Amino acid sequence: MSLPSSIAGFSVLPISYTGTSTHYLYARSHTGSKKNASQTLPDGRTLFLVNVPPDATERELVLLFKGCGTVEKVVFDLDPQEKLVEPDDSDEEEEDEAEEAVDETEEQPRKRRKLSKTKPQPPKVVPLPSKPLRRLRATGRSAHLVFLDASSLERALAPQPKARPWPVSEEPSGVAHYAALFDSLRPPLDIVRTHADSAMELFEFELKQTKQQSKYRKGEAIVDEDGFTLVTRGGAYGQTLGGGVGVASKKFQESGETRTRNKKKEPLQKAGFYAFQKAEKQRNDLMELKKNWEADKAKVEKLKASRRFKPY
Amino acid sequence: MALNLKRKHDGDVEPRKTRKLSDDDESDAVSETENVEQDEDNEEWGGIAPTQDQTTTVTDSSGRGTKPKLPPTGEELRVINDAKDLFRSSTFKLQIDALIPNVRPKASRIAPLDRFLQALHGVLMASTPVAPQHPLDAARKLIKKGIAVPYCLPQPSEDTNWKVAFEKPSDITMVGSWPNKISVKGKDGSKFGVDLAVEMPSNLFQEKDYLNGRFFHKRAFYLATLAAAIQNSKSLNVDVTYESASNDPRLTKLVLEPRKDESPNDFTKLNARVCIIPILSATSPIPLHRLSPSHSNIRISGDSDAAPVPTPLYNSALLTALMPKTFLLSTFALKENTPSFGDALALLRVWANQRGYGEGSRMCVRGFDGLGSWWAVLLGLLVSGEESKGKGTKRKPLGKGLSSYQLFRAALDFLSRHDFEKEAAFQRTKDGHRFPSEEYQAHHEAVLVDSSSTLNVLAGVPLGSLQLLQNDARKTLEKLNTESIGSDLFADVFLKEQRDLSTRFDTVIRVDLSSAKPRFSSLHLTLDIGSPANALISSVAALLRQGLGDRTKAIAILHPSSSTRPLSQALPTNPDVIYVGLIHDPHNAFRLVDHGPAADETDPAIAESFRNFWGDKAELRRFKDGRIIESVVWDIKSADERTHVPAMIVQHVLHRHFGLEDPLAIQSWQGGFDEVVRLPEVVSRVYTGSGAVVGFKGAMQAFDGLVKELKGLNEEMPLSLASVSAISEQLRYTSVFSPVPLPKSLAPNLPQNARYLPSMEMILQFEKSAKWPDDLRAIQKIKLAFFERIASALMTAVKGLKATVVVGDGVNTVDIQDSSRLEIITADGWAFSARIWHDREATLLDRLITGKNAFPHINFPSEKKKGKEQQEAVDAKEVYVRRFIHAPRHHRAIAALNHRFVAYSPTVRLVKRWLASHWVLHGHVSEEAVEILCASIFVGDGRDLTVDPENQVDERASVPGSKERGFATVIELLKDWKWEDGLFVPLYGGEAIGNAEIPPSASSRAGVWRIKTEGDRDGRVWTLHGPDVMVAQRIRALAKATWNCLHGMEEGKLDVKSIFIHPTDDYDFVVRMDSAALPRYAQNIDSALAAGGKYANLPREDSPTVLRPGFDPARLLFDDLQRVYADTFKIFCDPFGGDRFGAVWDPTLKQPRAFRVLGGFSGAPVKKENEKEKDKGLVVLNEAGVLSEIERLGGGLVCGITVQV
Repeated sequence: MSLPSSIAGFSVLPISYTGTSTHYLYARSHTGSKKNASQTLPDGRTLFLVNVPPDATERELVLLFKGCGTVEKVVFDLDPQEKLVEPDDSDEEEEDEAEEAVDETEEQPRKRRKLSKTKPQPPKVVPLPSKPLRRLRATGRSAHLVFLDASSLERALAPQPKARPWPVSEEPSGVAHYAALFDSLRPPLDIVRTHADSAMELFEFELKQTKQQSKYRKGEAIVDEDGFTLVTRGGAYGQTLGGGVGVASKKFQESGETRTRNKKKEPLQKAGFYAFQKAEKQRNDLMELKKNWEADKAKVEKLKASRRFKPY
Repeated sequence: MALNLKRKHDGDVEPRKTRKLSDDDESDAVSETENVEQDEDNEEWGGIAPTQDQTTTVTDSSGRGTKPKLPPTGEELRVINDAKDLFRSSTFKLQIDALIPNVRPKASRIAPLDRFLQALHGVLMASTPVAPQHPLDAARKLIKKGIAVPYCLPQPSEDTNWKVAFEKPSDITMVGSWPNKISVKGKDGSKFGVDLAVEMPSNLFQEKDYLNGRFFHKRAFYLATLAAAIQNSKSLNVDVTYESASNDPRLTKLVLEPRKDESPNDFTKLNARVCIIPILSATSPIPLHRLSPSHSNIRISGDSDAAPVPTPLYNSALLTALMPKTFLLSTFALKENTPSFGDALALLRVWANQRGYGEGSRMCVRGFDGLGSWWAVLLGLLVSGEESKGKGTKRKPLGKGLSSYQLFRAALDFLSRHDFEKEAAFQRTKDGHRFPSEEYQAHHEAVLVDSSSTLNVLAGVPLGSLQLLQNDARKTLEKLNTESIGSDLFADVFLKEQRDLSTRFDTVIRVDLSSAKPRFSSLHLTLDIGSPANALISSVAALLRQGLGDRTKAIAILHPSSSTRPLSQALPTNPDVIYVGLIHDPHNAFRLVDHGPAADETDPAIAESFRNFWGDKAELRRFKDGRIIESVVWDIKSADERTHVPAMIVQHVLHRHFGLEDPLAIQSWQGGFDEVVRLPEVVSRVYTGSGAVVGFKGAMQAFDGLVKELKGLNEEMPLSLASVSAISEQLRYTSVFSPVPLPKSLAPNLPQNARYLPSMEMILQFEKSAKWPDDLRAIQKIKLAFFERIASALMTAVKGLKATVVVGDGVNTVDIQDSSRLEIITADGWAFSARIWHDREATLLDRLITGKNAFPHINFPSEKKKGKEQQEAVDAKEVYVRRFIHAPRHHRAIAALNHRFVAYSPTVRLVKRWLASHWVLHGHVSEEAVEILCASIFVGDGRDLTVDPENQVDERASVPGSKERGFATVIELLKDWKWEDGLFVPLYGGEAIGNAEIPPSASSRAGVWRIKTEGDRDGRVWTLHGPDVMVAQRIRALAKATWNCLHGMEEGKLDVKSIFIHPTDDYDFVVRMDSAALPRYAQNIDSALAAGGKYANLPREDSPTVLRPGFDPARLLFDDLQRVYADTFKIFCDPFGGDRFGAVWDPTLKQPRAFRVLGGFSGAPVKKENEKEKDKGLVVLNEAGVLSEIERLGGGLVCGITVQV
């Protein structure tokens, strides 16, 4: 009876929690596919961890692998579909922020700012204040650890003779976590104000940028691949952003269907024109009647079979 | 039968029709004509009910199995159309046809009974005469044989000068329902009664025998002698017992039940019993005119000078000895004239039996015991019409050709409309009234006189029981009138047991009469009624009626029906315990003051009787309008107690008039239900001391004030506020606890774990503007700016008010979803949280979901939507639709319901409490779903919701009038509801309103309940995330257990609190939490709060008083655990201060499974059995590890985890 040291290509790293219980991390060296071999997760010094504790913070993971070497960065729950567009000039401080729940809201605009690296300089968003807080993830998720050098990776993957204790970082947990979270969600009003204002400035700025970049200019017709010109509805004063002459109806724009003018078409023939039609209709009605009756009967028979009709 | 009769008329038409068909289509018609011929053959030899069955089965077999290819024959067509026209629907007719044979005796088992009756006839006719002797001597002789003579009151004494004797019967006839073949099976497995009328020879009686119970004594002796004869006979192997209908010793009969011996006349299999009823012959010397209701036939020695008091009940008891044969004949005539009479009677009696109007071992309605004939008389009255009462309109006879269902409905209609209190009913007679009709009304409570115009069949039936009958008839008619197809109507009307006290009555009171000492007991009343126990109950009924007046629609007295007793026991045993059931009239029931006569009343007797009735409760009061009136005032301590007023009156009347002082003698369950939705004493004391405005009223005032302030800010806002709608349960009367504010000044006085301040949600909508950005993320930022503006403006405008912007919920990080809100704490300590509704969001989200942009015909290749973004949009749309579209209108509808139905909001609160205390509310069942579910029992088909409540005609009878009844009804619904079928609740009064749907891709969630309303045709808005199958089944099981617990009421051993105590044995592990760290612990169902701080006089200084509105770490932890371990275990908790979580592992995780990277659970590698074994790479759930994680996540809160095996 012994624990397997590796399982399905992952080495098993037992972690002892306070008390007697043991948690198991599964580790493997990260091998990125060739296509997106990015600098963020360099092959050879990136550790792929599975079954990270739900409340693990970056600091805790760093501490856990301190013995193996210096950890450059930690990435949680890497979405394989989404290409990581981490800024290459990422410094330590920004990384920290990326982990925090509060911060997420303003992360997006910043990314965009980075994307649109054109003059003039976009306005800066004043961030909301943040405290170091834990973020609870679903259980059994994964993380990537990037070491400074490749030798640390080997050390990390070496079989563990003994369970390592789970380190604790200074972020509050339990009740203290909830209280801190509660307070951090309620920033002072002036900061909210500057944050909102600057975010809106950025939005306006970006809107302007996209307008300038847009393929379609105001007053120019929209021509698709086949060479057809879309005739759209006009905005205020007959002008649309990147649109042509305003004629298309709103409904047409949304559904792509023209309005059906006469909905109910007159049937070509009158229903009861010939005598046989009448007779047929009558016969069908009767058949329908009988069919329903038989159906009802079958239903009641079925109920009867389940002894439903004994009142007591 | 109806069909048979009709067929004769149609007989000549049918062949013609078939012939016509065969012309069209000859090959097909052959089998058809055969079919018809077969039918006609049946007709030849048949004509009674069983044949009818056969014919239907014949046509049946031809059609079943294969699809009907032929058009129906004329015969079939007629049957089908009849079913449609004469019954509610064809299914209904078929169901009735299936029901009737089940309540009729099996024809094949009747033969032994006939043989037995012949033998019995022989024995009775051969009985030896007994010479006239003194009644007491005769009794002494019989007692030696072990047979007591059931002499009734007034008992014969030693100095009576008349004699009792026995001679063989002059005639023996079968009477009652058996010979007419209209018997209907009784409830609780009781047997078919085969009534045998044994005519006592006229020469045993004298003219004066109607006096002082002499006739009854002679009858009793006759019965006892018959009993002796039967018991002694060798040929009859039967058990002989006495039974008295309604426990009236005057109506004692002999009951013969066969012993099982497999002999030819052993009829045990028939499940019947033979009742021997001695009757008078038509030629008896007792003069009929002495038996009219106004005659006095009991003389009490000593008061000969007083005017004789009429003895109506005594007289009608005597008359019953004359009636059986007449009844038999009139019923037979009725049955012959009206083909559907038998079936209609069966339906009516099944309906009545299910509701306790008849014999049974559970609680039965008083007065209907042994009153089988009344149902036949009732139908007779409808069919043959009413005898005119001199003036006024008389009831027109109904046609004889009605179907059984129509006749049944007519009977219910009569019962629901007829006011027995004011109006007497007389069946049409051949030759006018025998006794003046006024006499009946003057001396009986309720009158329905049969066709012979002698006997009032309702003599001795309390009016309260008839009121209940009226109420039940109304309820059923309401059901039959609804068009709803969803519910199983037939089962509701005929198949479902409806005797449960808790769903039937608004207030149920259990009274133990064994120690009752009536203040006024009238000897005369006792003699008229026949026994002291019956007299006691009838005076209880009368006094309660007087005390409650118009507060109730019905006051019913219930007890188990009479049972047989051994021959050695002369008098019946009476029930000690009765149940008083009240059905409130919601308009009057909770009045606090009863007015009596004015002080200047000229007749002092009136004031005297008022004071006498109420005792020290009556006081002279001067009212604002200057009147000085005798009145009774019921003081209540809290608003909850207002609903207790009817029960308090019952209690007072029983105290005063029957000396029931013992608290155990009168038991009601309202207090227990009140307690579970009340804040603990420790907390409520702080508020009553402070004089703060609390409760729903206080919350709404605070809300209205805030709205006013917000509207006042218009100049300072870029857009003006268009509307503010509340969406919080505290603002629609449906939160479990009545809301309380938490002002800064009070907080230190409250225990640390009673300082929860719920924040009430509301929605702000600004006027439309084109300036909003056309981007979801920017909209969310703009909302922040708005909130900031409102917050600073509000804080400068209102002193003491605190407003903060909340930028998210800490869990959800999707930036296109509405997540920010404004938190406001008013100066009085009420907390609100406001969100902004911007309707453009919906369009933008839709675009993301459908992947279409503003120009659908242009392909923007760069904007190919991503799966993740689309999923986020779906989630955001779901939240948007629920929060901004459904929540406000749900709120309005529920708030309106609360004004419409008094009991609605208390019911919702109780049900929520129940679900919460069983750990499913909030985590699995949303509050709104509960509200709609509870509404379903109030709104009916929703038709009367649209009627202006001011001029409403009448409350529907099925609407509960108290929270206890509402609660029981909801429990019953949860117990029986097949959630697979869904439930439609016309919450919006049947109006079609916009149906905003949640995105369909979001509907693949776990919730299985479907609660539909007009605004939500899918029924998923409030039940999308739960309950899932497992929880739904668990709720059903819990409802069943609770229902059984409520049944304990009938044994008087219901402990209300036990319904709300949750069994935790089923959980795999239970997480215990430190109650001191829970801010809501005060709301726990059995919280044990420390009364105060260390020093009673000092405010606690144990902690800084930081107010965090809506902050409940237990709930946050619960939500986190539910989210983090969604696929690992299912977790349950009580949102109201529950100090434990219970959880069940996902059973599939306990099996080792192959390791996967995205396993979604915390696994431990499976240990190898031995070294040689190959590594299979299996992992199994790491239970201990997960438990440690829970402990770590809940640090400071969790104080232990119990693992249960």
